[in-house]
Amino acid sequence: MGEPKKIIIDTDPGIDDAMAIFLALRSPEITVIGLTTIYGNVYTTLATRNALHLLEVAERTDIPVAEGSHVSYMVHLLPFPLPSCTCYLIYFRFTKKNIFLLSFSPCVKKATKLRVADFVHGVDGLGNQNFPQPKSKPIEKSAAEYLVEQANLHPGEITVVALGPLTNIALAIQLDPTFTKNIGQIVLLGGAFAVNGNVNPAAEANIFGDPEAADIVFTSGADVLAVGINVTHQVIMKDSELEIMAESEGIFSKYLCKILDYYFSYHRDAYSMKGVYLHDPTALLAAVNPKLMTYTEGVVRVQTSGITRGLTLFFNKQKRFHEATEWNNKPTVKVAVTVDAPAVVKLVMDRLMTS
Amino acid sequence: MDSTPLVSSYCNGIDSTPLVSSYCNGGLSEKIIIDTDPGIDDSMAIMMAFQTPNVEILGLTTTFGNVSTKDATRNALLLCEIAGRPDVPVAEGSSEPLKGGEPEIQDFIHGSDGLGNLHLPPPKLNKLQKSASEFLVDKVSEYPGEVSILALGPLTNLALAIKRDSTFVKKVKRVVVLGGAFFALGNINPAAEANIYGDPEAADIVFTSGANIDVIGINITTQVKMSDDDLDELRRSKGKHAQFICNCSKFYRDWHVKSDGVYGVFLHDPVCFVALVRPDLFMFKKGVVRVETQGLCVGHTLMDQGLKRWNSDNPWTGYSPVSVAWTVNVEKVLKYIKSVLMKP
Repeated sequence: MGEPKKIIIDTDPGIDDAMAIFLALRSPEITVIGLTTIYGNVYTTLATRNALHLLEVAERTDIPVAEGSHVSYMVHLLPFPLPSCTCYLIYFRFTKKNIFLLSFSPCVKKATKLRVADFVHGVDGLGNQNFPQPKSKPIEKSAAEYLVEQANLHPGEITVVALGPLTNIALAIQLDPTFTKNIGQIVLLGGAFAVNGNVNPAAEANIFGDPEAADIVFTSGADVLAVGINVTHQVIMKDSELEIMAESEGIFSKYLCKILDYYFSYHRDAYSMKGVYLHDPTALLAAVNPKLMTYTEGVVRVQTSGITRGLTLFFNKQKRFHEATEWNNKPTVKVAVTVDAPAVVKLVMDRLMTS
Repeated sequence: MDSTPLVSSYCNGIDSTPLVSSYCNGGLSEKIIIDTDPGIDDSMAIMMAFQTPNVEILGLTTTFGNVSTKDATRNALLLCEIAGRPDVPVAEGSSEPLKGGEPEIQDFIHGSDGLGNLHLPPPKLNKLQKSASEFLVDKVSEYPGEVSILALGPLTNLALAIKRDSTFVKKVKRVVVLGGAFFALGNINPAAEANIYGDPEAADIVFTSGANIDVIGINITTQVKMSDDDLDELRRSKGKHAQFICNCSKFYRDWHVKSDGVYGVFLHDPVCFVALVRPDLFMFKKGVVRVETQGLCVGHTLMDQGLKRWNSDNPWTGYSPVSVAWTVNVEKVLKYIKSVLMKP
C-alpha cells in the first residue's frame, strides 16, 4: 500500500455521518486531515459541535474542524454580507420539524427554507443522547477557506468526501476557480439517479439542501464521483447486525449502538424496514476502496426550480439530440451504479467493532 | 404503502373482473377517439385501429407535435381517405400549447408533411366544425363510461376538454397516453419526452385530473423496434396498408439511424395502441405522476412509486394515481403489431 490518501470530510453529523467519521478513522488506506461542517441533518452550528464531540470521543482532537456555511449558496450571492445587513429582513424561526431561514430581498424573491432532518437523526443530530459540550473549538478559517488552502497545499492529493449539501464545495470553487484543478477528487453522497428521492419523489436530501450549489459542483469540471441513494439504498444494516455490534467492546461500536436506535426507529416508520441505510459509510468507502462499486460516466445537471427542485438528471451522452441541450458541453462526472453491498456492510462492521 | 404491480384488463371498466374474452380485438366493441399528430408512427397506429375488428373509431382529433395542427388535420383526413373510412369525423384541435406560443414541430423526424415527405395531394374530406375538445366532451357525454381515448400527441386537447367539462374525467372510460420517460432518458433532451415537452402544463392537468389513465412512456416504447428486416417483411406482405406505411417509414427509419444508431424504427404510437386493446401484454404500476413545468427539466415526468411514507406533504400528495406501464412483452407486442399491419 502506498501513502494513505488525504481526506477532508464535509459533514453534517448526523448518525450515519458519525459512523462514516469513525469508519474513516479506522481505515488505514486514508488519513483524515480535517473535517468541515455543513447544515443538513442538523444546522451548521450543531454540526460543528457534533464534529468536535465525535473527534473527542475518538480521542483525535488533533484533527481540525472548520465550520462551514450556515446558509445556502444563493444567500451568499446577496449584494451585502448577511450578518451586517439590515436592509434585508432575515429571521430564524424554530419549529419542531424544521428550522427556517427566511430572507426577503430584491434578489432573493422567494423565502429560502433551510431544511433540517432532525426527525431522522434527533434534535441533537446524534439520537437525542444529550452528550456534553465539546471542549475543543473549530479553527478560525471557514470551511471553504480551509478547503481551498488544503487543496493549494497538496495539489491533486486531497479527496473531499462530501456527506451533506454541497454549499461549502461550491463556495470553495467560487473563492478559488483553480480549486477544481487542485482538488484530487470530490466523492459526494447525493442524488437519486433514476429512482425516487428521499425528501420527496423527485429529490434526495443532500441535493435538495442546496440545488444551486450541487449544480455548480456537478458541472465544475472537478473529478467528481457521486454516490446516490439508488446505490446507498442497497446497503442496509439489519437489526440483527446491530445486535452483533452491540456485543462488541470497541469504543466506536459501543458509542454508535447508543445513537443508532433513533435511526432504526425512523427507518421503521418511514420505510417499514428492520434495518438502516448506510448512506454516509457507503460514500466514504467509495473513497477508501472504489472497487466496491461500479460507475458510469456522464453529465449530471440539477433542477433548481419547480416541483422537481433538487432532481439530479444524468445523461450518458449516448443519444444525439436534435437541438443543443443544457447537458451539452458540460464536464462529465462518475456516478455509482452498483455496489457490493455485503462487502460494504462487512467492512463497516469489522472496522467499527475493532477497539 | 406498497405499490402492487397492477396487471389487469381495462377494456371492461375499472372495477370489473378482467375477462380475457372481452379484449377489444376479440369480443366486445370498444369505442375510441384517437387524439393524434400524424406523424408516421401515428399513421401506423391509426391504420392498425382501422384494421382491428370491434374497435369503433368515433373520430380523430388533431394536435401539434410531429407536425402543426393544421397539417395534422390534413393528414388525419388523408388517412381516413386512404383507409376508405370517410365516415370517420376529424375534429381539429388546438394549434398551440396551453401557455401559448409557437409549438416546436418535429419535421426532422417525420418529414415536412409529417408523412415522410410523400407529399400526397390534399384530401377531399373536410374537418368538422367542432373543435377537438368540444368533440371529446360531446362524445364522452353521449356515451358515458364507454369511450376510451388514445392520446398520441401533446395533451392540450384533453386538458381543454377537462377544463370545458368538469364531469369529463368521470365520464371518460379510459385514457391511454403515449408520453413521458419514467426513470429513463427523454428524447427531446435528457429530461423530457417529446409529447409531454410539447405541453407540460396540459400533461400535468391530465395526469392529476383523476381520470382513469394508463401512461406508456418511451422507457416502454423504445423497447419495441421494427428492424429493417421487419420492414422488408411488411413490404413483401399483402397488408392492406403495408405499402403506404413502408413508403412513409423510409424517412423515419433514416432518422433513427442518425439519432439513435437504430437500424429500424421505434413503434411508439403502435405500442400505445396495443396497450389500449391488449393491456394483458403489459404490466403496470400505480403512482401519482406530476410534470415539471419550469426550469431545465421542463417536461420531466416524475412518478411517486409509493415506496416511502413522506415526512410532510409534497407536490405529489393528494392526487389520484395513474397506471404507468412498467414492463412490456416485447415479442408478443411486435408480433401483434406485425400481424395487424400485414392483414390484407
